[in-house]
Amino acid sequence: MLLRSLLHDAERDEVEADIRGEYAMRCDRDGVESANAWIWRQASASAPASLKRSWWRGWTGFESQAHMHRPGGVMLEQWIQDARFAVRRLMKRPLFATLAIVTLALGVGGTAAVYSLVRTLLLEPLPYGNSSTLAAFWNPFDWSQAEHLFLQDNMPAGFSDIAAYTQMDLTFTAPDGGAPQSTSMIVSSANLFGVLDVQPLFGQVFGPGDDAQGAEPKVVLSYGLWRTLGEDRSLIGRPLEIGGEPHTIIGVMPPGFWFPDPEARVWVNAPFDPENRSGNYAMIGRLADGYTFGNMAAPLAQMGTRLRERFDYPPDWDKTRNPVLTPIADSVAGTVKPMLLATLAAMALILLIACSNVAALMLGQVDSRSTELAVRSALGANRRQLMQQLVMETVILGVAAGLLGSLLAAGSFSVLKHSLALGALLDNAQLDWSVFTGAMGISLLAALVVAAVPAISLWRGDLRDSLTHSRTSGISGRGGRTENALVIFEVALAVLLVAGAALLIRTVDNLRSIDPGVTVEQVAVLDIITEYTTARPERARMLSDIIPGLQALPGVENAALTQQLPLRHGGNNWGFHVEGIERGNQSTTAFRIVTPGYLSTLGIDIRQGRDFTPADAVSEEPLVIINEATRDAFFGPVDPIGRMVASGTGGLARVIGVAGNAAEAGLTAGPTPARYMLLSHVPSTALQQTVVIRTREGVDPASVFDAARSTIERVAPIVAVSNTTTMQDVFDRAVGPALQLKSLLVILGGLALVLGAVGVYGVVSHFVGKRRREWSIRMALGLRPWQLIGRIVARGGMLVAAGTVIGIIASLAVMRVLSTFLYDVTPADRPSLMIAMAILLAAGMLAALIPAWRASRADPATVLREQ
Amino acid sequence: MTQNDAPLGAFEEQVLLAVMRTRENAYGMRVRQEIEAVTGRDVAIGAVYSTLDRLEAKALVRSGRSSIDGSSRRMFEVAPAGAHALAQTKLMRDRLWRGVDLKPLLAAY
Repeated sequence: MLLRSLLHDAERDEVEADIRGEYAMRCDRDGVESANAWIWRQASASAPASLKRSWWRGWTGFESQAHMHRPGGVMLEQWIQDARFAVRRLMKRPLFATLAIVTLALGVGGTAAVYSLVRTLLLEPLPYGNSSTLAAFWNPFDWSQAEHLFLQDNMPAGFSDIAAYTQMDLTFTAPDGGAPQSTSMIVSSANLFGVLDVQPLFGQVFGPGDDAQGAEPKVVLSYGLWRTLGEDRSLIGRPLEIGGEPHTIIGVMPPGFWFPDPEARVWVNAPFDPENRSGNYAMIGRLADGYTFGNMAAPLAQMGTRLRERFDYPPDWDKTRNPVLTPIADSVAGTVKPMLLATLAAMALILLIACSNVAALMLGQVDSRSTELAVRSALGANRRQLMQQLVMETVILGVAAGLLGSLLAAGSFSVLKHSLALGALLDNAQLDWSVFTGAMGISLLAALVVAAVPAISLWRGDLRDSLTHSRTSGISGRGGRTENALVIFEVALAVLLVAGAALLIRTVDNLRSIDPGVTVEQVAVLDIITEYTTARPERARMLSDIIPGLQALPGVENAALTQQLPLRHGGNNWGFHVEGIERGNQSTTAFRIVTPGYLSTLGIDIRQGRDFTPADAVSEEPLVIINEATRDAFFGPVDPIGRMVASGTGGLARVIGVAGNAAEAGLTAGPTPARYMLLSHVPSTALQQTVVIRTREGVDPASVFDAARSTIERVAPIVAVSNTTTMQDVFDRAVGPALQLKSLLVILGGLALVLGAVGVYGVVSHFVGKRRREWSIRMALGLRPWQLIGRIVARGGMLVAAGTVIGIIASLAVMRVLSTFLYDVTPADRPSLMIAMAILLAAGMLAALIPAWRASRADPATVLREQ
Repeated sequence: MTQNDAPLGAFEEQVLLAVMRTRENAYGMRVRQEIEAVTGRDVAIGAVYSTLDRLEAKALVRSGRSSIDGSSRRMFEVAPAGAHALAQTKLMRDRLWRGVDLKPLLAAY
């Protein structure tokens, strides 16, 4: 069999007969065993020589004199010959080849880049043992140490264990000293690593009792941090100063481990206090054997009842009402998943458009080669051989497109990864060989899809028929129905993408037109962290001392401090009531601790009363500025200025002003009641603060970062700057994933438009080419050029119109997938669809106009003579 | 030196000589059997066909179809260029052998 497959058709039978003859002779002479051994030796020694021979024959095209009239060589030989033929043919049509390769490469490259991202982010297993039974609790960062300890003692049915953790940014100092650096740190219960079912690379993780009162502070390092600290195993047992307090390094996690996001580099234990009810922990649980996410409703309800009995939640804060467990995979990749999938879908559409484009081009090629193919067929080539050549041509196009596509994919990977808001998952997205293998795989698949269309057409068509028609210049040649269908299909897909882009453009416009209540231009933002070992009054003093230094910097108009910036979600809500006014439904407002000048730095207007002054900071009396939403919710018709309200810190504070509403809870949340108090009047000082600096007109806010950073380091050595940005960037982030997705879809929509136009152009050109003779006769008989242009453009227009209508119908059906990203726009938004339709029609007509114009300029006499 | 003037490889030389020796019976399997019989070594049929193709491409042998015992076979004959190449190769070998005395070494073998 092996030998047979490696032999030329013409000599296969004779060689086989010879071998059989000699085998029989050897059987008689030397015995069966020896003859068998001989056959094996022949086969194994002949295989490499025969392969080499096929390869050589394929490349040289050598055909023996004896076989001249019996074609049909070894498969490999034919493939090589077909490949050479295909390359020669492609080289002869550089425009077609380039267009096809570039078109496919664009689709392939984009799809491969997104696929690679999706693979690393969504498909790769999480670095935890059996992550399918790990569940994230609802209301993250709203659970307390007391609740966790209660659940530990009364482990609810359905769980084998539950761990609690909270995340904070802190400074650490390396064991050999140096400046404090900031890092994201996880403070957890001792069983965190047990619940995650992970082992350290070396050393150990927290053990039982490490979260008991008085437990020694310990720290587990990420592999990355361990390498930063010198990659030294003797670090185990040594102290690492975190937030000014020494923690013993007990273990290092393996490379690739992260929890809950790759930014966290240290995990420390915390003494859990059964009386501590401040809710800032998130919880994860390991489902017990026999439990799945599907059958947890009853155990959760039971757990809720127990928690309610023990903790007596007020109705507004009853977190046991809607218990939901989220699989850990969704919890860590939850926000990026829909965006990645939407991008992947958009890229796949581009790829489909590219495929149908190239298929239409190929069809045109097959059609214009019909005479050649018919002659070859008449000379004895069978359909299988002709199709094999066709497939080889597309495979070569595919390989070339795959190579170019993987370059494009590698190039666009980092652009893509930064243009999608991946957040903490950014570090996980690494470019690897999967981009290349993905591009090649997708490209070959696309090539086969592309080859299928002309191959089917070739299979169905009567080749000899076209030979007869070629003499009459193909007036009654193929109707090009498949080509038309392909173009309609790709126009429809392009409409989908353009409509999607239009919807997101409208969404982003809507979001951008929301007034955040702050001036976003000319404001620099520095997030800072302080060590928690410094006593609170000292910390507050140092923080206040930073401000004058910053205000004195050149180019700076004003500077202030806040605990929580608007547009970033989160922050504290504290209880609120006005002395002498009955409590209504609303009992809390957002609480912002600031320094004087904060409101004017951020451009938040004072609507009534006055702003804080530097003198207020040193006065004894606690003062408060409320926003309009607070006034409307709590004061009704009463003038709030001068009224005493609960300060939130035990005493009373006097209202001195009413500020405009700033987007304290996020861009789309609407007016949120908020109040502002001065740092010097509030005893609690958080470790994380944000410095805002307004620069003078014409001074780029980003230009003050370095000066501000060194001022802060000089004035307050216990403070580290963890992040620098601008208010404009904070605003852009608040606009959210729609913004990133919009940029991407606009690019893809543009690409789809170009590809669609190229498709229309190709098909119309081909249509024109086929009818040149007919039209030349008509023009000779008096048809006006503009009439001809009209007819051709109408033909193109019909295709585009049909595609557009189908595309619009499809958009209505599938735009729902974008609905999570849309704001104030319905998926069936009429203006967006109209815009998409108009753009496609215009582009399509324009694409049809070029060949039409060219046809109208042709001299009938020349055309008729040519043909 | 053109490709056709290049000295033959050892196996090429063997195949050409085998074709000469088998005369009118020179088809692939006979050529293989002839080399095996004379040299006493196993020779793969694939290698023989591969070499014959190369020799034909270099116009050192010619092939055509003819019928032997009722079955059609690809038969080979050495072309004049092949004879010339064999002669050249032999000449070159003779020149190389000239002045070589193996006797003392063989005496010690």
